[in-house]
Amino acid sequence: MTRWLALGALVAVALVSAVVLGPAHVALGDLASSEIVRSLRVPRALLALLVGGSLGVAGVSLQALVRNPLADPFLLGLSGGAGLGAVLAIALHVGGPWALPLAAFAGALGAMALVYRLGLVGGAQLDPRVLLLAGVAVGAFSGAITTAIVSLAEAADLRNAFLWLWGGLSGASWDTVLVMLVYIPVPLVVLYAAARPLDLLALGEEPATHLGADVEPLKRRVYVAASLLTAAAVAVSGVIGFVGLIVPHITRLVWGHRHRALLPAAFLGGGALLLFADTAARVAVAPRELPVGIVTALVGVPLFAVLLRRWAGARS
Amino acid sequence: MRGLLVASLLAVACRPPADRPSAALPAHRIVSLAPSSTELLFALGAGDQLVGRTTWCRYPPAALQVPDVGDGLNPNIEAIAARRPDLVVLYRSPLNETAKTQLARLGIPAVTLAQDRLEDIGRAARELGRLTGHEAAGDSIGAALDALLGMPAPAPIARVAFVVWDNPPMVIGGGSYLDQLATLAGGANVFHDLAAASATVSIETIVARNPDVILVLSDSSAPPAYSGRREWRAIRAVREQRFIMLRADLFGRPSPTAPAAVAALRRALEARTK
Repeated sequence: MTRWLALGALVAVALVSAVVLGPAHVALGDLASSEIVRSLRVPRALLALLVGGSLGVAGVSLQALVRNPLADPFLLGLSGGAGLGAVLAIALHVGGPWALPLAAFAGALGAMALVYRLGLVGGAQLDPRVLLLAGVAVGAFSGAITTAIVSLAEAADLRNAFLWLWGGLSGASWDTVLVMLVYIPVPLVVLYAAARPLDLLALGEEPATHLGADVEPLKRRVYVAASLLTAAAVAVSGVIGFVGLIVPHITRLVWGHRHRALLPAAFLGGGALLLFADTAARVAVAPRELPVGIVTALVGVPLFAVLLRRWAGARS
Repeated sequence: MRGLLVASLLAVACRPPADRPSAALPAHRIVSLAPSSTELLFALGAGDQLVGRTTWCRYPPAALQVPDVGDGLNPNIEAIAARRPDLVVLYRSPLNETAKTQLARLGIPAVTLAQDRLEDIGRAARELGRLTGHEAAGDSIGAALDALLGMPAPAPIARVAFVVWDNPPMVIGGGSYLDQLATLAGGANVFHDLAAASATVSIETIVARNPDVILVLSDSSAPPAYSGRREWRAIRAVREQRFIMLRADLFGRPSPTAPAAVAALRRALEARTK
């Protein structure tokens, strides 16, 4: 119980600091009436929570699915696909305010479909190892095409597209928050409903089958739901690394291996990490801004290393 | 890598390495590897001495008749050598210093010219004038740009921001050519305090600095796509659709047309602030 209270308090502190702190000075008394707070900081904070949470949940689910602690929502080729979609949209001058996120989303879904198809061994079984390799291959291939387009294109525009790929929440608005709020509950519920079978899957596919889990449909559901979460995250905020890798491990150290607790904890933990990281990205070098992916790495990796040491120490 | 190998083989086979082989001036076969140098060479009257340009050299339109040798930031030494130039003009960057050394091994003279700020153009004009036998033209362009730089900056008539990219939002800072043009035209760049030529900032920083006008590098007259997004409408100038479009031929690169660019920006700012 105290663990949950602490996590809840962490999220609350993260949300409050994201709204109170920023490169522009807003007096505490004016917070409620400020246009900057109302139309920029609050939606950006909520988007950080939703994106960070989605990446945390996707990371937990994918690590359980492929039974590999290195799995990350972006390891399965989605970032490469999203990047290719975004760069194509810019290179082909697709107009409109929503062109970039839609193209990135389409690219991520394309990569997901391709990896899924490659991962279906013999057309029926989803083999986690093949899935991982297919993800790496599809990611590298689309990354190569992206780099080729960028290096052949005129400097400014497409090189800026690379900056977008490093991740950032500057596209946050009430519109993006609304889209995420409508979209992510479906994959989140699908994954939460799979919590118990995911516990069994951790024992191995055969034991899980013996214990009554319907393994094949489970793997497909988890893969598709986690990928859909990641695709939405990359569409609204680019590729934000480390959240989906580190948060699952940290939450597992604290909450153990039961997915019924792990999934919500990873959502809140991922949200809090991204909130803190984005606040730091906006404030640390103000008036300039850092790519948030750099901050998630700078904050997340040392924290992860400390916990890893303590965990390894406790085991020996 | 292959270019490098061929280059070093050629160097061993054909010619002794030359450190500063500037024997035959003026140059008659010039390869220009920066859009601003290409434009400058045409302005000097050396356009017909050009035998190579980059893919991105589009001004003046006559430049398109010059053979394309590829990219200027990562030059293809082999393609350049094939044009048998007696002078290669490079943009000054660490990578291009390497290219200059490689060219020197082939006995091809090369110069690297800084082309980042207004004061660089006059200097480059004089240097290229000397190297191409158009000294008088070089001096005259140099003098015109010196006069522009020597002008006392007018009192600002509008606060401006150059927004060059929307996601992440990127603006032009004080260490840039465009900032200099704006200052001379009576536009106070609200990001003048940023020392870098360009920088990523938060939308809320643009809101807080509240520019009167947003300057956009674009040949189209349509407002930029981000002006339809809700988060950008927190900026007053975006809400009120106060954009000034800057044509690429005048504003796209440091150029001897800077006086005309300043005058055009001045007129646009006056029209906007009436």
